[in-house]
Amino acid sequence: MHEMALMGDILKIIGEDVQKRNFSKVEKIELIVGEVSNAMPDALEMALEIYKTQSIPFLDKNTKLVIINEEAKARCCVCESEYIPEKRLSVCPTCCIPSGELISGETFKVYSYEGS
Amino acid sequence: MKITLNEDVLADNNSAAAFLRDEFIKSKTLVINLMSSPGAGKTTLLERTIQELANDYKIGVIEGDLATEIDADRIRAAGARAVQINTNGGCHLDARMVAKTIPNFNLEEIDILFIENVGNLVCPSGYDLGQKHKVAILSVPEGNDKIPKYPVMFRRTELVLLNKIDLLPYLNFDVDTAIKDLKGINPHSKLMNISATTGEGVEAWVSWIKEAYETR
Repeated sequence: MHEMALMGDILKIIGEDVQKRNFSKVEKIELIVGEVSNAMPDALEMALEIYKTQSIPFLDKNTKLVIINEEAKARCCVCESEYIPEKRLSVCPTCCIPSGELISGETFKVYSYEGS
Repeated sequence: MKITLNEDVLADNNSAAAFLRDEFIKSKTLVINLMSSPGAGKTTLLERTIQELANDYKIGVIEGDLATEIDADRIRAAGARAVQINTNGGCHLDARMVAKTIPNFNLEEIDILFIENVGNLVCPSGYDLGQKHKVAILSVPEGNDKIPKYPVMFRRTELVLLNKIDLLPYLNFDVDTAIKDLKGINPHSKLMNISATTGEGVEAWVSWIKEAYETR
């Protein structure tokens, strides 16, 4: 489960900004998580709950985590159609050959936070 | 107050990886990041690979493991300079850990550096280590389902070494299906059959490394 390490990076990014602005509390964290980004939303929630027990000054038990899902989409470079990738995600459903490239779904970003 | 950051979670890792990439380019060291499940045969394959290359190249290995120096000792015995990173439970190597080990090597004196990642098909795939090439090792006993089950790993590697092919007659592994699954996930990747134990296919893998070295 690398979500503990990922949440550590997320809290570091937010922590640096919190310090710069002299905030003391973070009420909400908003992430964008792509469907094929290799980060699992449930595990991220769990990781945050664990960090909440580790006395990080700007976190408290009410800090909310909001995950904005980014759908996986691919485009075929032969017929140029866009499609929702299945298991063999490069296989274009129209051409039936591995001619597709992912165009979204790999994002993993700290989008915003609410601090005071 | 809402603050919009829109910052990549792995930004820190990626800047450490960019630093490493610069160092590797400066020292003209070819760096290969090897990833697989535990038990796929990474260390055995490396021992064999080092034997094949040791006469012509100076080899370094970074060994990533949760604990112990067992693998680094095996690599040293095979004739390469090896440094162990114990992640103390961490499931992958990140670029910062690799950057910390670099002072243990004189990069100018290393032609080829292998990074043996922690055995895991999920977490290591997300972390850029500044390597030139990412190679996955899949072994026959793991079964055909691994490629479709771990698409991110196979999307982000350019070569898959199918290890333990000496066991193909005894197990239900279908190589054609594996190739089809792999191409379906990553048309640019290729599968190379190999057995680190019998040595079958090792020549092709060694040629691949030599070519990568020439074009590093």
